[in-house]
Amino acid sequence: MRRLMRVYKALLQTAWATAVEYRAQAFLWILSSIFPLVMMVVWLAIVDEAGPLAGWGRADFISYYVGAAVVYQFTFVWSTWQWDEDIRTGNLSVKLLKPLDPFHYLFSEQIGWKVFTLLFIVPVVMVIAWLSPAIQYPLSLGRAAAFALSVIAALVLAMLMSCTFGVLAFWSTQVSNLYQLWIGVGSFLSGWIAPLALFPASIRQVAYLLPFRSTLGLPMEILMGRLAWPEIGFGFAVTCGWCVVFLVLYRILWRAGLKRYEAVGA
Amino acid sequence: MRNYLRLLTIFYKNTLVGELEYRLNFWANLALSLFWLTWAALSVRVYFFHTDTIAGWSYPEMLIVMGLFFFMNGYRQMVPEPNLSRLSEYVRMGTLDYILTKPVDSQFLISLRHIGVYNWGDPILGLGLAAYALWRLGRVPGPDQILLFVVLCVAGMVLLYSFSLILQTPTIWLVNVERVDAVVQGLLETGRFPIQFFRGWIRGMLTLIFPIAFMTTFPAQALLGQLNWGTAAAAIGLATLLFTLSSIFWRFALRYYTGASS
Repeated sequence: MRRLMRVYKALLQTAWATAVEYRAQAFLWILSSIFPLVMMVVWLAIVDEAGPLAGWGRADFISYYVGAAVVYQFTFVWSTWQWDEDIRTGNLSVKLLKPLDPFHYLFSEQIGWKVFTLLFIVPVVMVIAWLSPAIQYPLSLGRAAAFALSVIAALVLAMLMSCTFGVLAFWSTQVSNLYQLWIGVGSFLSGWIAPLALFPASIRQVAYLLPFRSTLGLPMEILMGRLAWPEIGFGFAVTCGWCVVFLVLYRILWRAGLKRYEAVGA
Repeated sequence: MRNYLRLLTIFYKNTLVGELEYRLNFWANLALSLFWLTWAALSVRVYFFHTDTIAGWSYPEMLIVMGLFFFMNGYRQMVPEPNLSRLSEYVRMGTLDYILTKPVDSQFLISLRHIGVYNWGDPILGLGLAAYALWRLGRVPGPDQILLFVVLCVAGMVLLYSFSLILQTPTIWLVNVERVDAVVQGLLETGRFPIQFFRGWIRGMLTLIFPIAFMTTFPAQALLGQLNWGTAAAAIGLATLLFTLSSIFWRFALRYYTGASS
């Protein structure tokens, strides 16, 4: 009987995890595939009327938004929702029995999902790029490596931010809303709404120092070949700095939160 | 008719009371709606760093469309989505058997039984944004233009509902139609912008096949005094047609429903 219950518990948890993932999936799918394409269509309408803007023509906009939609798939992390559920429902207790920080489980789950996406999405994009001559990325070997590295760094930073917000659930029930606000502000300053090059210089300079650009704009600007090596180096320095900041924040909040944590029913 | 209204009052009252009990959530949801509305208005602003008009639309004029997008999307989250996305559950759990035995029209029950109130701020704030944009334009629509606007909005809401029902009805055969509500939401996303921004076959599709233009662009043009009653007649005709089609399709599908226990 007890064995059966244990089996059921495992099954239910898996089912629950899948459901959560599924919901985030739909959200991700809509935000990532429709929205940038709609934004792109509007830019194309403007370019058709007024000619290239700040050196950005039709082909540039198409390349940028298609690329951004793909890079976004790799750098959007939904662990905050999982932290929120785990802490509220007491599910965290189960994870605490395991020998590792829950961060690692969540991170490996994200990595697994991204690898799956990679296998699925890269062939699709290659076909699209082959069919549409407008999509072009002037890449040398060195820049391709820098691009790959910047996507990995973006994923790490996004994961650290997501988990830092996630552990706030020890104190608040509004964590997922808070994280939504963070993503919302971030989508302006990351290059998601529009390439940062098209913002006024004052906004752009602020954006270069904040963590958001590292999660999308930096990889995209490297991919589009718009950055010189010193600028790439500066971008990586900012990324690493924010990674350290959020790692420290996460560790502090996690330890403090764990002391407060009393599981439901404990 | 009176009977149906009485039923709706009973259905919705409990949901509303339930929602109001969680006061923090209530205010948090409103704050979030306001945030995303501002977000949307500012995201459009980026375009206007580079140009004054896009396809003949100025920034405030475009804000009217954006406001109506929030209105329609909020309506979608209040009525069509919470009801129609339950259809798969009804079929799987056999709840549909009970629904069919009730002495009330089944389409009424599957379409209006529930109401999603968590996002009640969106429709109101959306209309607020449209009003603000009109004020910035220094424009007061005449009574006939407001009437035209109301007619077009109602037609748009009927279209959105009928369209969702048609997409969701195959659930009867397939049991689990995956994320149809996400498809509707994705299409509606294009309604953030005036239909004139889209070209060629995309514009044709968004006007006639997925009539998103009738949901946000045309009502906005009514407020701006750019439409005549011909469009309203087309909207009413299209809405009646699609609603009738969805209703016929629903009844047709029910003929193939065998029940969960048989």
